Amino acid sequence: MLDVLVAPRRDTLTEPIVAWRTWTLAGSPDGRELRLLPLFGDRRPWPPREPHRAWCVRRGRHPVPSLTCTCGLYATHGLDGLRRSRDPAVLGTVALWGRVVEHATGYRAEYAYPQRLRLVCFVCFFLAGPDRGSPCEVAVRHRGGRIVPLCAEHLALCRRYDYPMPRLLEGAAVERRLLDTYAVDPLRRV
Amino acid sequence: MDIGPPRRIIEVEPVTLPVPETLPEPEQVPEPVPEPAGPGEGAPERRPQPAED
Repeated sequence: MLDVLVAPRRDTLTEPIVAWRTWTLAGSPDGRELRLLPLFGDRRPWPPREPHRAWCVRRGRHPVPSLTCTCGLYATHGLDGLRRSRDPAVLGTVALWGRVVEHATGYRAEYAYPQRLRLVCFVCFFLAGPDRGSPCEVAVRHRGGRIVPLCAEHLALCRRYDYPMPRLLEGAAVERRLLDTYAVDPLRRV
Repeated sequence: MDIGPPRRIIEVEPVTLPVPETLPEPEQVPEPVPEPAGPGEGAPERRPQPAED
């Protein structure tokens, strides 16, 4: 209802909005079946080769996303907005369309699909930010399916401190498979 | 994720969806069925080859 009362400016675009986003990653033991997952929220995997549609976890009777709710598929204007991402595995750009609420530093959208992706070492991401970091040497596949990419330096650190690594997959192979799964291009430079 | 206060609503209606087209799996592509050969059409017609100089 507040959507109507506030009556914000409403614009129409014919090109999707492209913004930034991070995901976690889950996969089969051999790393062949991969799915992007949100870092928070409903934890529904993003389907390959079809639009991901937002829905309201509070089952609110309103258009999604709504000004008065927190629902929608999140993305940020720039990389700075992602600095606080908690343990991301994948960084990329994402196309947004449908009903989109623009915020001061990002968006909440009705529909989204990834455009460019790359694996990120979560330790590098935490220490140096999203625009730096080394290529991922391995992807650790944990029980339950969660996949955690690591660069060579932080792989060595994890080995030194006995970080549990049940299954190691080649990082480059996992990234290629991820790009094939979603049929998107690699994110080279940020 | 903190993205600040909302500013405006945008209706984005892309002309083409930013989603890759799904190609059919190879096994889903139907094999071309050869048409049954009629009488006298089974063998390719041999044409006289031009003599080489």
